[in-house]
Amino acid sequence: MAPMFQDEGSSSVTSSPLQLFSMMSLSPNLGSPYPFVRELKSEERGLYLIHLLLTCANHVAAGSLENANIALEQISQLASPDGDTMQRIAAYFTEALADRILKAWPGLHKALNSTKLTLVSEEILVQKLFFELFPFMKVAFVLTNQAIVEAMEGEKMVHIIDLNAAEPAQWIALIQVLSARPEGPPHLRITGVHQQREVLEQMAFKLTEEAEKLDIPFQFNPVVSKLDNLDFEKLRVKTGEALAISSVLQLHSLLASDDELLRKKSPLAPKNLNGIHLPGVLQINQSTLGELLEKDLVNGHSRSPDSATSSPLSLSASAKMDGFVNALWGLTPKLMVITEQDSNHNGSTLMERLLEALYSYAALFDCLESTVPRTLERLKLEKMLFGEEIKNIIACEGAERKERHEKLEKWVQRLDLAGFGNLPLSYFGMLQAGRLLQGYGSDGYKIKEENGCVVICWQDRALFSVSAWRCRK
Amino acid sequence: MMSGDSFSVASSIGGFGQEVQNTNPNPNPAAKKKRNLPGTPDPDAEVIALSPKTLMATNRFVCEICNKGFQRDQNLQLHRRGHNLPWKLRQRTNKEVRKKVYICPEKTCVHHDPSRALGDLTGIKKHFSRKHGEKKWKCEKCSKKYAVQSDWKAHSKTCGTREYKCDCGTLFSRKDSFITHRAFCDALADESARLTSLAAANNLNFGNDSMNETVINPQPGLPLGASQFGSGFRPELSGMAINGNSLGVDQQKPRLSLWLNQANSQLNPTDMMANSHLYESSGSTAFPEMVQAVSGNLFGSSSMPNFGNFNNQQFQGFDKSVSTSKNASLSLSALPHEMKEEGNKGNVVETLSSLYSDTQKKQSKPSMPMSATALLQKAAQMGSTTSNPSSIFGNSFGVMSSSSSNTTTSFNTLNQNRNELHQALQNSKQQAAENFTASGSVDGMLGSSNLSSLTTSTNSFDQLMMQTSGKQSDPVALKNHPGSNAIENSLTRDFLGMGGRESQRPFLAQELAKFASMSSAMGLSQFTGNH
Repeated sequence: MAPMFQDEGSSSVTSSPLQLFSMMSLSPNLGSPYPFVRELKSEERGLYLIHLLLTCANHVAAGSLENANIALEQISQLASPDGDTMQRIAAYFTEALADRILKAWPGLHKALNSTKLTLVSEEILVQKLFFELFPFMKVAFVLTNQAIVEAMEGEKMVHIIDLNAAEPAQWIALIQVLSARPEGPPHLRITGVHQQREVLEQMAFKLTEEAEKLDIPFQFNPVVSKLDNLDFEKLRVKTGEALAISSVLQLHSLLASDDELLRKKSPLAPKNLNGIHLPGVLQINQSTLGELLEKDLVNGHSRSPDSATSSPLSLSASAKMDGFVNALWGLTPKLMVITEQDSNHNGSTLMERLLEALYSYAALFDCLESTVPRTLERLKLEKMLFGEEIKNIIACEGAERKERHEKLEKWVQRLDLAGFGNLPLSYFGMLQAGRLLQGYGSDGYKIKEENGCVVICWQDRALFSVSAWRCRK
Repeated sequence: MMSGDSFSVASSIGGFGQEVQNTNPNPNPAAKKKRNLPGTPDPDAEVIALSPKTLMATNRFVCEICNKGFQRDQNLQLHRRGHNLPWKLRQRTNKEVRKKVYICPEKTCVHHDPSRALGDLTGIKKHFSRKHGEKKWKCEKCSKKYAVQSDWKAHSKTCGTREYKCDCGTLFSRKDSFITHRAFCDALADESARLTSLAAANNLNFGNDSMNETVINPQPGLPLGASQFGSGFRPELSGMAINGNSLGVDQQKPRLSLWLNQANSQLNPTDMMANSHLYESSGSTAFPEMVQAVSGNLFGSSSMPNFGNFNNQQFQGFDKSVSTSKNASLSLSALPHEMKEEGNKGNVVETLSSLYSDTQKKQSKPSMPMSATALLQKAAQMGSTTSNPSSIFGNSFGVMSSSSSNTTTSFNTLNQNRNELHQALQNSKQQAAENFTASGSVDGMLGSSNLSSLTTSTNSFDQLMMQTSGKQSDPVALKNHPGSNAIENSLTRDFLGMGGRESQRPFLAQELAKFASMSSAMGLSQFTGNH
């Protein structure tokens, strides 16, 4: 078994072969000073980057900022958002690590981020790019739509709630399919939830236009709101209509909660933090760093509810998520389709999350490298979507950490507990999805079926999962 | 005529404000009642004026024992049987029943006049509620209110089910009014011309000319052909969104619906149509087009022998720029950059693949730079091979990392730690040797390479540690393993395949195979054990 060390870095880490790689060597060649590194070939550079990245992460986790700084310096010689896959990944991961370190000085962190511009148009563009450059959203849409069409057979009044109404293509396709139904189209109502009014307006325009063309009675209701504080009354669910809910990559942010508070209140919290002794740390820091470290230690040491293990008891407690899912159940939908990232980025320790994230984002970046040329758009997608996600996973904690991706089995558990029964996705839908993936031209995309749910992979790395649910009494 | 009526009105006015006991018996099923024309009551019918209270009363017959209310006297009588009370069912009177008509008590109402009396008690009740009553029943879907429950029920059955919308935007619930409106609606005048051409396109299915029409049909802001497809891989997205949709939708309506039709029998012909959109969708944002294209691709590659010919025919009908940019988009797009003829259908539904897929993948593209995933796998394998020995080895690293955090600046403690590490390694090395010799046949190579990697790892790790602390190497440290260095250097190179090798390729294939076998033999089982 893994040794019971108090140090956050090692206890979870010795069990990972990748982490051990960081400890080991590289040949003496690579140990030489800087000028040599420019001559490294891509593979060696990649391995070296991994090594440095993990070393740096270990130092950050342990609080030894000097070492972390040195590692960062070395990485910056090799990493680049414009280079090959490993260089890009390293660039974003180190940026995230640096951000994490900087959070130990909140004033500094805030000051550096105070003039950051976040253009809504850029954010919208990035979402569009994600939709275009990858087939994942499209596959999710195909599967969702097929599930809706099948569930709504014979229904006259259909109400769909879209928890992230940003991409009209999904519903345009559904409208077209529904208009061709043998029994005629139903009366269709779509309620779209999004934070930006402009996006909803655009969506309303597109969808109404489409429905008018096809002569379908249609209504679009925009709801400008975050999911955190969504007022379910605004959704205007009426009795007598068949309700379908579609959530694409939205639920995981509801898992964000103040873990510290939760853990202190939880009976599983360890009470023996006093046994830990890290003299080196105390020399370096301000008190904030010490607290950060203590948090890390708490994260590492206690096998608290939101650890990465997949035992049935280890569903992370989140009142927000429970409340939301229960409210969804209370709407008694006929169908609910959930699309989520299928990776465990919600481990309680930094290293757990970092290692998992390395694999996931390596797959995503590889996928882009294999299918999309190195354009500015791709760079934007990598930086503004993946870079931000990575930063959130690595640098943030508690309620700030929104990108809490979890594996499919956890979602299955969670929804099952909330009173939903799994509806296997139809074979026909999967066929359509498979065809779509093949049309994307690369045989790296794979689709798998797991207990009625569909998992979309890149080269055997599971990336996204789609599952359908009904209300169980 | 009226005098007679007024007489009876006067006589019945006495009944005004009292309960009137003459309820209509149930309609005799044998003789069908004669109905007067609407608005013309029977002249010699008895006019009955009931009070509002009477009209609105629901349960007028009340059981004196339990106060349960009934709408009909017969029901009350039957109920009284249950209390063992005397009961009597009224028989329908055999003599000729005088026809009764009812007037509305509301003075301002048209039906207050006996000449406009209504012939049915239920009718007058409903009328009174509707016109002069409070609307208590509300439709949930459209918020329309009703005073009479049956009206409400009837409405909610049809509310929203069938709505007709004229192109000018007006909504109708009735087909007849809709049709009437449409005939006179101005907006249709423009549409009809377009619709006829569309209908032609739909009917012809493969008609190039009609498709040309719809493609070229000028719509505002629709740059055709070149700008849409020839602008390379990433056309401007906002423009594209509208363009793609409007271009694609007209043609797609029949096709997508057919394609997604549950009855798969239509798939083949549909995909032939869809092929025309195969290359359009590169760079477009419209998802249906994407899906279309996919379907076209699949069937094109696997089951349509005349796919190529057909496609050419299709494209002849299109804009020239489309066909030329077809090639451009072929080379540029994210869509098939190699049109594989072999069926990839096997990939549609897969089970979890084995661990060795990464090695297979690496071997299949030896000349391309390794993917990040492959690099991570390799790093993990390398890490796992060096960590094969028991957890004591892991322990020592644990010690290293914790103590290393202490010694950020002091170099002496670093040396101390290194010494500890070497000691730990000595122990573990021996243990590892024991472990390995005890295991299977592979271990001859396994043991030595692992050991060598152990020693090299510790040596170079020291160097690396020294690097990170930015100081020169301490000659003391390296003396611990004098003998192994010379031998190990060559093995070191072999281990990572750098420097002394001519070509990368053999390294990849051989070494990876070795790593794969080693990791499979030792690493994984070790780590599942560790967990």
